[in-house]
Amino acid sequence: MGRYTVRRLLQLIPVVLGTTFIIHFLVWQLPGDPFAGRCGDRPCAPAFVAMMTEKYQLDEPWIFQYLTFLKNLLVGDFGESFNGVPVAQILADTWPVTIRLALVGIAFEIIIGIGAGVLTGMRRGGFLDNLSLVTTLFFLAIPVFVIGFTLQYLLGVQFPIIRPTVTPEARWDELIVPGFVLASLQMAIVVRLARSTIVENLRSDYVRTATAKGLPRMRVVGVHLLRNSLIPVVTFLGTDLGNLMGGAVVTEGIFNINGVGGQLFRAIHLHDSTIIVPMVTVLVLVYLSVNLLVDLLYAVLDPRIRYD
Amino acid sequence: MTVPRADAERRAESGFSGPLLQVDDLHVEFRTRDGVAHAVNGVSYSVDAGETLAVLGESGSGKSVSAQAIMGIIDSPPGFVTRGAIRFRGSDLLTLSDEQRRRIRGRRIAMIFQDALSALNPVYTVGFQLAEMFRVHEGLSRGAAKRRAIELMDRVRIPAARQRVHDYPHQFSGGMRQRIMIAMAIALGPDVLIADEPTTALDVTVQAQIMELLAELQRESEMGLILITHDLGVVADVADRIAVMYAGRIVEEASVHDLYARPAHPYSKGLLESIPRVDLKGSELAAIKGQPPNLLRVPSGCAFHPRCPYRREVCVTKEPPLFDVAPGRGSACHFWEEVLDGR
Amino acid sequence: MTEGRSLTGGPTGPPTAAGEAPTPLGDAAGGEIRTLWSDAWYDLRHKPLFWISSLLVVVLITMAAMPTLFTDINPEHAVLANSLEPPGGSAWFGYDLQGRDVYARTIYGARTSILVGVLAMLVTTTVGLTVGIMAGYLGGWPDGVMSRIGDMFLGLPYVLGGIVILSSVAGVRSNPSEAAIMAAVILVLAVLAWPVTARVARSSVLSVRAADYVVAARALGAGPRRLILRHILPNTVAPVIVIATLNVGAFIGAEATLSFLGIGLRSPVISWGVAIADHQDYVRNALHPMLFPALFLCVTVLAFVMLGEAIREALDPKLR
Repeated sequence: MGRYTVRRLLQLIPVVLGTTFIIHFLVWQLPGDPFAGRCGDRPCAPAFVAMMTEKYQLDEPWIFQYLTFLKNLLVGDFGESFNGVPVAQILADTWPVTIRLALVGIAFEIIIGIGAGVLTGMRRGGFLDNLSLVTTLFFLAIPVFVIGFTLQYLLGVQFPIIRPTVTPEARWDELIVPGFVLASLQMAIVVRLARSTIVENLRSDYVRTATAKGLPRMRVVGVHLLRNSLIPVVTFLGTDLGNLMGGAVVTEGIFNINGVGGQLFRAIHLHDSTIIVPMVTVLVLVYLSVNLLVDLLYAVLDPRIRYD
Repeated sequence: MTVPRADAERRAESGFSGPLLQVDDLHVEFRTRDGVAHAVNGVSYSVDAGETLAVLGESGSGKSVSAQAIMGIIDSPPGFVTRGAIRFRGSDLLTLSDEQRRRIRGRRIAMIFQDALSALNPVYTVGFQLAEMFRVHEGLSRGAAKRRAIELMDRVRIPAARQRVHDYPHQFSGGMRQRIMIAMAIALGPDVLIADEPTTALDVTVQAQIMELLAELQRESEMGLILITHDLGVVADVADRIAVMYAGRIVEEASVHDLYARPAHPYSKGLLESIPRVDLKGSELAAIKGQPPNLLRVPSGCAFHPRCPYRREVCVTKEPPLFDVAPGRGSACHFWEEVLDGR
Repeated sequence: MTEGRSLTGGPTGPPTAAGEAPTPLGDAAGGEIRTLWSDAWYDLRHKPLFWISSLLVVVLITMAAMPTLFTDINPEHAVLANSLEPPGGSAWFGYDLQGRDVYARTIYGARTSILVGVLAMLVTTTVGLTVGIMAGYLGGWPDGVMSRIGDMFLGLPYVLGGIVILSSVAGVRSNPSEAAIMAAVILVLAVLAWPVTARVARSSVLSVRAADYVVAARALGAGPRRLILRHILPNTVAPVIVIATLNVGAFIGAEATLSFLGIGLRSPVISWGVAIADHQDYVRNALHPMLFPALFLCVTVLAFVMLGEAIREALDPKLR
């Protein structure tokens, strides 16, 4: 397990370097004036341009620029928005809300996604199974922002059960509907994934062995079938966290939630690249780190990986 | 360690003196998209304590399905037992409740599967999977169950059992994995052990070791052993009796010696003739012509007729019953006498 | 049966051994030759889902190619007096904020969505297939390098990657032409999506490369060109077709999402995503300028996703 952890850590390094380099390259190295349209509707102030040039060493060769970019990231200096608020401050203020929203979403994925997937997998071809196949198809096809608007309109405006927008405190109960919207796509994928692995493993030899051992049905399913079937689901949940974060931009934008995604949403509309780039970079780094954690969890669940 | 109880004691306990396990007129069908496949069509056989019955047949002959029916582990749907009885110590397993059957499974009747790598759960240690038998069926504590698991591994001669109990199935060699499979099956001292192609996936040298182990365990504990195989070579050394299956039926039943010396069914005869023999080196090897039957469209009359050198008109129209050839010996061939005489 | 037999599933579950009888009980076909493709076609013909989604796709493509068949109203024609007028009379779907006909704009929106979806799919498939086959065929360090580069792009999640690129590309930030905006969106989608196709292609190449008949062809002196064209490419096609079809749906949804966020397409391009974004603040007054584009968007994505799923099921005997 130790060696596996070290190896995964080492593999993460080139990916982090590569991904940050891609971002850096796209932001600063593409031909054309990097400051065009970067500061909202007006041109950037000369002082701002000078400050950024200094900070990102924009008159140096690109490799220095990239290293400076990396160094700033490492020390937690993410720059300032064009009206002077440090991005680190914005992040610190908004993280808790986004984490709460993400937890609500992941709870939906796990409870509804895995629950429905296991249930329909065990009773393949039944009414519930067909219902869930159709429902998940819709969730797979309808973009998150359409689902968001639909629920906001139906539950917030037409039959007012919730406030159409979330208050700045973003209490847990306010986040239930946005969390559902955020998780809707992933939930559908989890249902299908869990169902298909359950169906596949139900026919597997080791489940047959467990039955032949005279184990009670509950134990066959709970101990032998579930653990194996959930391995790919856990992997999916981890690798798809990136899409969850992208979804957070949309969801927080629609419900006006004051989280990281909501800030990004507003920054995009204000054309404020100064905070878009560092915030996305941080989100990507968080995503990559969570992926590493999921990889380690995967190894805990599946011993075959550990001993490779 | 499990102390095997003497057979007399077991009989006294149930007050029953018939065969230990008796399959009677068993029918199993699979209802598939393409139609109903009759996998087992009226199979009867029995096994006594200490006896080894070999069930021989090619894939699709119904030999494994009948064993799964005994264990009660047929996937249903699509598989259904439609007729017949499976009597264990006189009581019909098919009439028992699910819970009663579960208590017999693994404890009184156990099964070994062909491919131990896929039959063992990849994400649990072998110790966990062995100990599970004691914890579930006997309610032992974690520690006591683990000690029993180590004893079991010693008993099937896995070296360094104490350390290896914490290893996962993929860390063992094929032969060692099959030993673990066997250990799991004999954990609770079952009365009947069904071995479904236990050596097919193994190297030839390992095959012999595994068969030896099985024979030895059987001698120690007086189990009834049902050995399912397609390999006549495996059968010769260990089995007492053989039931040859074809297209879901038993076509010949005989003692090993009789069958090898004078087969009474053209199919068994064909099987014997297709084994290479040193004394016939240089002559052409006989093979059974044609394809195994499609179970969705079993030929009329005798299912073997399209491939049979003895075929006559009656074979196409009339299904042969199992004729009594001699006491304890049967053949489902209209012309068994001709076959027996080697004409 | 021979064609698909050596295809073994990659991590995303492309088709495996083809034409195996669904039961372990022997060959039900009774001697006729069955291939992966004839089996798949047999399967598809009997699926209502396939016919419904194909029909939708054909209608949508017609709509994209010849919008004038469906409407003769000019989608740009604005009468401010009609602003947000509800559906009725001559305007079936009502008027939008600028007083333009929503029905006409929704019809013309299909052209943008389909164009972006299909072109992005073509770029993605070409790049992904090329890289995947090269990586799988060459193996060794070229495989390592290409796979790692793919990982780096996969490290950028869809929407986040789209945000950072589209908000930074100078040409898009200032006042771009219609074609430039669309090209930027198409390229962004392809840049972020190609590694998935490459992975699928690579894993199926790997499984084919080790197959006995390819080893035999190589032993008989077949060159790399012949090996790739005759043996490897045909076996990679099935899983790539599935992912390409699903991608069209995904790209159309992603384009709408980016447009909705304000970094994808924008006026003067007529697009469902733009229409939704432009009218989100007027939901309480008028639902229709958002509702109809959203409905068309959902149906379009659904059609491609259903088609992809139907093809996947037909090509993957494991799912039968």
